[in-house]
Amino acid sequence: MSVEEVSQKLENVTVSDDAPKTVLSDNKEFEVKHPLNTKWTLWYTKPAVDKSESWSDLLRPVTTFETVEEFWAIIQNIPEPHELPLKSDYHVFRNDIRPEWEDQANSKGGKWSFQLKGRGSDIDELWLRTLLAVIGETIDEDDSQINGVVLSIRKGGNKFALWTKSEDKEPLTKIGAKFKTVLKLTEDGLLEFYPHSAANDRHAQPSITL
Amino acid sequence: MPSYTIEELIQLKPSETLSVDFDAVEFKAIIEKVKQVQALKEEEYNATHHGHFNRRRSSHLHHGKPKVKQHKPKVTTDENGWSTFEPKTTEEGDSENNSDNATTTTTSSISKETVKVKPNNRHISSSRPADNSDIITDKQVHGFNTFAALVSDDEDDE
Repeated sequence: MSVEEVSQKLENVTVSDDAPKTVLSDNKEFEVKHPLNTKWTLWYTKPAVDKSESWSDLLRPVTTFETVEEFWAIIQNIPEPHELPLKSDYHVFRNDIRPEWEDQANSKGGKWSFQLKGRGSDIDELWLRTLLAVIGETIDEDDSQINGVVLSIRKGGNKFALWTKSEDKEPLTKIGAKFKTVLKLTEDGLLEFYPHSAANDRHAQPSITL
Repeated sequence: MPSYTIEELIQLKPSETLSVDFDAVEFKAIIEKVKQVQALKEEEYNATHHGHFNRRRSSHLHHGKPKVKQHKPKVTTDENGWSTFEPKTTEEGDSENNSDNATTTTTSSISKETVKVKPNNRHISSSRPADNSDIITDKQVHGFNTFAALVSDDEDDE
């Protein structure tokens, strides 16, 4: 159901003055929210400042959201990517999928990866576009291949990764092509797909390149 | 399945900042604290490494230049504000006569030099003589000759 359909339905209902208000009719005190396809969880990986801190201590779920309005509320209240310290990660994953290879939903999948060289100011915009494409379900129209999306703040270049539940070349190539458009990549921009099964191999080659 | 394009989702963005169901202030505080710790660590790293980031393993233990104490030249400022530089060695030589000039400068330079005498005490505690002349004096002059002792006095008489 598109936003226009949802709005149209609500307009049809608004016969009396007691009709529920949406964010479009009342920006502050809206009653009806636009639902997303699934629930999403925002995770944050805190950079280690002490050697005693383990990976499980650093990766924590922040909050969940199920509507467009809840999503915007979170975006307005958390630091933008350019404000994050080095070695931080933002993860947005579907339902209760953990942003780890070991999770059952991820174990047979992989990730589309792109590295943005330098700490450019467009990282905030690209991350927002990626999130909107993922939670709006427009990056994967055929089937729900997408498990989540990760942003890694690194010294050598910030990384965008789109985690998928399978390694199937055909649907992934379609998703990759859309991901390139979302990231505003030209022909020179290289998008690589790495299966999670090869994640431990440092010299692993991408199975698909776009 | 509800789907929204990027443009549609941007249209639905509220102009007012909405409240969230988690402690956003605490979340921001954690991130700020991490940034502060990282900045402190980087500062500390820069201070200890003197800006040498490329050196993986130092071939020497010195960090930076060794300290060399330079003696400051004596400069006197008179009441009119003129500063005069007074070199040490030439001052004494100029006051003397020309004939004695060479000798006085050499003696003054010699007298100023401090000669450090370092004794060679390597063999002091060993049994080896420190002086070679001791070897000669300690040498055994009369040795016991066994063959000479065997020869009897009677045979000599014959």
